[in-house]
Amino acid sequence: MRRAIRAAGLALPGLLPATPGFAHSVVAGYDPFPGGLLHPLLVPAHLLALVAFGLMLGTQGARASLRLLAVFALSLAAAILMVAAALSPSEPAFVLSICTLGAGAVAAAGRPLPFPATALLTGVGAIALLLDSVPAILSRSETLIALGGTVLSAGGVLAAVAGPSLLARRPWQKIAVRIAGSWCAASALLVLAVTLAR
Amino acid sequence: MPPGGKKAAFARAPARTLSWPLLCDGISMLRLVIAMVLCALPAAAFAHSGEGVAGGFSGGLQHPLFGPDHVAAMIAVGLWGAFLGPPALYLLPLVFPLVMACGGVLAILGVPLPGIEAGIALSAAVLGLMVALAARPPLWVAALLVGLFAIFHGYAHGAELPQGADVAAFFAGFVIATGLLHLCGIGFGLLATRPAGRALVRAAGGAIALAGIVFLSRLA
Repeated sequence: MRRAIRAAGLALPGLLPATPGFAHSVVAGYDPFPGGLLHPLLVPAHLLALVAFGLMLGTQGARASLRLLAVFALSLAAAILMVAAALSPSEPAFVLSICTLGAGAVAAAGRPLPFPATALLTGVGAIALLLDSVPAILSRSETLIALGGTVLSAGGVLAAVAGPSLLARRPWQKIAVRIAGSWCAASALLVLAVTLAR
Repeated sequence: MPPGGKKAAFARAPARTLSWPLLCDGISMLRLVIAMVLCALPAAAFAHSGEGVAGGFSGGLQHPLFGPDHVAAMIAVGLWGAFLGPPALYLLPLVFPLVMACGGVLAILGVPLPGIEAGIALSAAVLGLMVALAARPPLWVAALLVGLFAIFHGYAHGAELPQGADVAAFFAGFVIATGLLHLCGIGFGLLATRPAGRALVRAAGGAIALAGIVFLSRLA
């Protein structure tokens, strides 16, 4: 009994600092790559942005949405180059919220916009999303590994949302996409207001 | 296994395990262990507050659901939309979250808006009455009325953002909950396509209007 209590007494102090120890990973308890993979799924503002972009892509038609997916991928690659070159524009979260609001509003409108407008929204949003995902503490190589995971995950979420919304043919399906877009736009507007108020 | 089993073995255990100095030593170790466990507890205590992503989302989701005045008004919006038919059927739930967010922005930026609670209670009374009377105003009148009340609802939600909650999760939660309440209203309101269902939907509108009057009388 005494030994067990002593062992527990010695083991507990070792457990206590476990939470601060997670501060060195992108997501608590995960290595850089899986942490980067999980990051867009666990940060609500990023998930909201990806859903809004996906819904927007779905309302732009098959051809335009494929081109917008390419713009998204190229923008993420450009953002990784910016991180590698140690360029860090300020307030990526704020810019991301503006792009989420725009994408949600376009999806709520349910009508195709000129390609340059949606491409600008998608491109700037993708860069802001990636720059807002840069972990503060990791080394440069670990940061790039984590961002690789984020790119894969963000692309997957975008495609997973854009696909079904692109396939929406029946009136109620199109209405559902538009209502989901208005939910995203409303949430992004409120997040923007909080950012401004702070 | 000794004869008599485990219980007998425990009874025959040497007395030294219960000697006073060793017991004191054990108790002090126990105290140490308990103190350390208590040190680790504050982090676990966060589980029941509105902190973080999960707390923010669930807090936002619960916010409209635990306010009977919000619930009544949101269901009335859905019922009225279903009663009016397309395009109001989908335009009202499409426009409502956006206008509601504008109300939330006013609250977050600290712009004063008088009579919030009265406005919310009035929304239940008026929108319920519209359903009960089977009112069919032009679409822009219906949208204006619903939009006006949406500002009060949004203001109330925006003003009650819990400290420490994830902002995006909280707002996504309450926007989704509001939308789902609209869908409940629309689902029930689609009964109005049949004569018996129409009477039922109008009766539901009457009940919501009465509830709105009760909410208003409580404020007086």
